[in-house]
Amino acid sequence: MEFIDLLALGFGAALTPENLFFCLLGALLGTFIGVLPGIGPTTTIAVLLPITFFLPPLGGIIMLAGIYYGAQYGGSTTAILVNLPGEASTVVTAIDGYKMAQKGRAGAALAIAALGSFFAGTVATFALAIAGPTLSGFALSFGPAEYVALMIFGLLAATILARGPVLKAIGMILIGLLLGTVGTDLSTGASRLTFGSIQLYDGIDFIVIAIGLFGFSEIIENLEKTGSSGVKVAKLTRLWPTREDFKRAWPAVLRGTGVGTFLGILPGGGATLASFSAYSLEKRVSKRPDEFGEGAVEGVAGPEAANNAGAQSSFIPLLTLGIPSNNMMAMMLSAFVIHGLTPGPQILQSQPQFFWGLVASMWIGNAMLLVINLPLIGLWVRLLTIPYRLLYPAILLFCCVGVYSLNNRIFDVALAAGFGLIGYLFRKAKCEPGPLLLGFVLGPLLETNLRRALLISQGDASVFIERPISLILLCATALLLLMMILPNFRKSREEAFKGEEV
Amino acid sequence: MSRSTSSNRGDRPDLLTAAIYVGVGALGLWAGRALEFGSLASMGPGFVPTIICFLLIGIGVWIGALGLRRPHVPIEPMKLRPILVITLAIVGFAYVAAWLGFVAATLFLIALSSLAERNVRPAETLFLAVGLSIFGALVFVVGLGVQVKLLPF
Repeated sequence: MEFIDLLALGFGAALTPENLFFCLLGALLGTFIGVLPGIGPTTTIAVLLPITFFLPPLGGIIMLAGIYYGAQYGGSTTAILVNLPGEASTVVTAIDGYKMAQKGRAGAALAIAALGSFFAGTVATFALAIAGPTLSGFALSFGPAEYVALMIFGLLAATILARGPVLKAIGMILIGLLLGTVGTDLSTGASRLTFGSIQLYDGIDFIVIAIGLFGFSEIIENLEKTGSSGVKVAKLTRLWPTREDFKRAWPAVLRGTGVGTFLGILPGGGATLASFSAYSLEKRVSKRPDEFGEGAVEGVAGPEAANNAGAQSSFIPLLTLGIPSNNMMAMMLSAFVIHGLTPGPQILQSQPQFFWGLVASMWIGNAMLLVINLPLIGLWVRLLTIPYRLLYPAILLFCCVGVYSLNNRIFDVALAAGFGLIGYLFRKAKCEPGPLLLGFVLGPLLETNLRRALLISQGDASVFIERPISLILLCATALLLLMMILPNFRKSREEAFKGEEV
Repeated sequence: MSRSTSSNRGDRPDLLTAAIYVGVGALGLWAGRALEFGSLASMGPGFVPTIICFLLIGIGVWIGALGLRRPHVPIEPMKLRPILVITLAIVGFAYVAAWLGFVAATLFLIALSSLAERNVRPAETLFLAVGLSIFGALVFVVGLGVQVKLLPF
């Protein structure tokens, strides 16, 4: 079978000592930052992006992917043991996981979380392996009009499925799109919005924006909130879950995997949405809904499986269509671009070992995480006691070196510091800066395709509704907009993200 | 979240958002005022930026109008110290790195950024600064080959 051959090719690429090392490094780093509450995976990947330029392409991307899914594992450890969700996607795990820990069943909760995540990761890896060739074959028939419709749909759907107010998110995307136009216009050669600065002629680098908005402003915000309370770690007990736990957890893991894999593919989906939806699903289908919030094992198993599945299946649109679905995937896209690769349907044909190597490495990474997590839980928990005052200078140094190494320009660092201040303002205005990155990455693609589509049709805008795929996508976009106006839908959307402030 | 019970209305974070969006939109329109708009068939360089800016201003006004009618929500208090110290440390790092090299820049960055917190611990900071500059020099400059001189001479 061709599918098996390709997977074998992937494992061949991923199992070289070098790539195994990067996979392990990514998984370890991901767990590390997942455990630490002050720093999230978005920031870490932003900080490490410039460094991957110095690594081999596949190795660098394997490492970044490992950080993303590793953070899901690490975040759940702290959520269960100390009620401190390291990541947004593990907030719901803390509800029942911490209750279980308080009842002396921390070991069982951790084991269920890790095993469920591993199972979900395996399924999602296969989903990626199967969906990849199918979807990318489909995408090869896309013309510029279809890409424009797809991007508009993706951007809008991303705002609705992501957390936070939709209007603010749309505004953020627009700012991102606007920032994406800065620099020399590729087709006319005119310099746009550069304020006469020569350094801006090549546009703003993604890394400058990402490190400014996430790295720098996060440090400033964390330093404002000093006085972190002492952490109380629940006692670790017997690790292996009981037979009863397994019986209750397996169906939840299966449902969580399904929900997560599906929601991860959708624009704006990914780990956070997946875990919230899985939790409410579990609560709804359970025969014992009153146990939720009191330490129900399903409340740990479902969301944990879902966030890991979602984290991995969100690679599907990026690798097959070349369209990132959330800010984390926007980072991954720019990691590809750093190495001169364009993710999308072509990469599967021109560099199959790349796609399949990444897929295989995800499965290997998940297996590594299982091994890293269960025996080393005690060590990870001890990391929680590292005070932030020792961490932020190191993060700051990584950020500064990363930005400076782009072009050896003082200008880039100063610009990133400026974006740090802007990001700080965004945080005060309660705006989530994630959609901005998405808009920034997709902006130039959107403009190029829009221009191309209209050039071919000689200015006739009906080209977007004459082509069937484009028409369907635009109808879906209109439907989404309509749904946002309906109060019923708005309410259920708010409910899906409820519990975030727990 | 603390909600003020005073009778004055207005969701301050939302109003700030509105101000940012309208401001950025207006700035974009002003900066791109000389760019040619073009037509659908041949879009000029100003086509996309102009549309984005108008949409942004529209969204900003919308958010502002909604925010004015909502009950009063204050903006979380800002502390100037971390903002100033961290920003200065970052920009300073770049200048020092260009003139005096990586080691001096790292020492500067760690020393200055430690002032962002109120109780400074000199011994700890010194230890951290020396440790990180050795680590950074080995990993970034020697290991990864970042093009920056290590020492001033």
